[in-house]
Amino acid sequence: MSKPSFPLKKIIGLVLGLGALILMPFLSLEGLSPSGHVALGIFVMAAVFWILEPIPIYATSMGVILAQVLLLSDQSLVGGWLDRAHEGGYTAPPYTLFYGTLSNPIIILFLGGFSLAAAAEKYALDQNLTRILLKPFGTRPVMVSLGVMMVTGVLSAFMSNTATTAMMMTVAIPIVAMVPKEDPFRRLVALSIPVGANIGGIATPIGTPPNAVALAALARQGTVVPFSTWMLMATPLVVVTMLLTWWGMCRMFKPQIERFELTINTTFDRSPKAIGCYVIFGLTVLLWVTEKLHGVPSGVVAFLPVVFLPAMGILDKKEIRGFSWEVLWLVAGGISMGLSLSQTGLASWMIGQVNWDGFGTLGLVVLFSLVGFTVANLVSHTVSATILVPVAIALVLPLADGDPTALIIPIAVIGIIVSYANILPISTPPNAIALSTGLIDTKDLAKSGILVGILGFIFSIFFGLIVWPHIL
Amino acid sequence: MSQKIYILCVEDEADVLDVVVRELSVLEDVFPIETAGSADEAREALARIEAEGDALGVVFCDHMMPGENGVELLVWMREHPDWNVSRKVLLTGQAGLDATVKAVNEAGLSHYIAKPWDQDELVKVAREQLSRYVAARKLNPLPYLKYLVMDIVGDTLRANSASDT
Repeated sequence: MSKPSFPLKKIIGLVLGLGALILMPFLSLEGLSPSGHVALGIFVMAAVFWILEPIPIYATSMGVILAQVLLLSDQSLVGGWLDRAHEGGYTAPPYTLFYGTLSNPIIILFLGGFSLAAAAEKYALDQNLTRILLKPFGTRPVMVSLGVMMVTGVLSAFMSNTATTAMMMTVAIPIVAMVPKEDPFRRLVALSIPVGANIGGIATPIGTPPNAVALAALARQGTVVPFSTWMLMATPLVVVTMLLTWWGMCRMFKPQIERFELTINTTFDRSPKAIGCYVIFGLTVLLWVTEKLHGVPSGVVAFLPVVFLPAMGILDKKEIRGFSWEVLWLVAGGISMGLSLSQTGLASWMIGQVNWDGFGTLGLVVLFSLVGFTVANLVSHTVSATILVPVAIALVLPLADGDPTALIIPIAVIGIIVSYANILPISTPPNAIALSTGLIDTKDLAKSGILVGILGFIFSIFFGLIVWPHIL
Repeated sequence: MSQKIYILCVEDEADVLDVVVRELSVLEDVFPIETAGSADEAREALARIEAEGDALGVVFCDHMMPGENGVELLVWMREHPDWNVSRKVLLTGQAGLDATVKAVNEAGLSHYIAKPWDQDELVKVAREQLSRYVAARKLNPLPYLKYLVMDIVGDTLRANSASDT
């Protein structure tokens, strides 16, 4: 019943994107192979569609895979401009390569995360963990807000940031709403939740999709970052930026009340299925964080909850249908685009258009991070990472000269900084949820968002320069 | 643009209608209010809402009115596919036992407020009923969340907030 709307932005997006897809193959850009022209058309279409959103972002990702299969694979349609890719010595990969991105180990890792999150939600494990983890923070209002931020962060490292925010809002808002309207404590807590969720997602590979984009790009270069290594890199960064953000926010929104108790009325479900859920959750996380000890890759471990949760009846068909499948498509489309970017020589051609001499790795990282941070405030974090990371990796690759550390650090920094882009209500779904509670306004979000952004930017680069070389 | 969810107030005494609308106006930035002085006017208001493609979340209805009475209007709404799920509140001092029984059994009455009422009670009932409406229709509660009761829409909110992008 909602009114049909097709605003100018969408029309411009459609025309520009489809125009690029159709016209690019007819151009002859110097130094770019024919297949590179086709890939450029797909890349520009994808970027325009992802940013202006004439169609949903996940549909764009699906479209990328379709375009690659039709135009750049061994199954491409023969004849006319569609066939241009095959001039000039391009060996078309099997079409299954592009479809196969949907079963990339990173995608399976996320599927494992989705299974665990669905089970945790079904048996209220998330709410019970919240209750237990919040207890040590006591009843001083500033400590309660720290607790809320930290607990949200811990949960969103394993569940989606959005789902964690929704859960925390449902338990916290009814109680916080009882605090007098003029007390800034209301805003402090309502902001602590999206801040904790947005930052917390950085902590593990499965915390939020931009991490997957960075890790998948690295894996394609043969540099696989174990789950525990990513956590070892990211968790201290998360803790430092979260603590400083909390400290700053407590100054901006100084609580007036003396005491606040966040009571959550849940009890642990002790049914056999619930206990099965706890055991599988704990075991999977344990195997992930000990990857270096046993050597079983996280993408393999992730398939255990995918199989055992439904096998034991802990998840049923309904919950499996409820997974965020569109996120898997979104990431897979990005991985697939990255394949053609390197295979057709498009990425190297693109970076060849700019003289990067004298930039150095640090200069490149700062530049890409600035662009990524700006874009990610306006469009989806995953999309920002998907557009930037493949180009960045092509630039950094020659500079790294075969040293995995020199490759991992810049790509991780760029992948992580997009998650710190949270200034606007549209920057992330958790922000949109927080704003809709009516406890905060756009200005409050911008205040905390700018603080998070500055701290995240500085500390990501600081960790990349000073701390991570000692961990890797 | 998400669908607008209206509050409809039906009351024949203009003074009383003014009070109801003024007290509910604290919700008006999210839930627009329509008014009607009789059952016929209420149908006209509903037709306007329908023509815009919008919805009715809750109706606050007096019982004793000239012409068709409140309970008859609510029964009619119950049978109308567009207003079937809308929450129905009787706001009255004069509904007898028979009318009240009819309202519960045939109109699917959601709540009964006896006159005189106070503003806190009225607003509380409005927020609860609007929350139940959003939850029953499984609407994404985000655009309306400011005035919804989290205990009622929490599950709907979580179901609508799954994925990061």
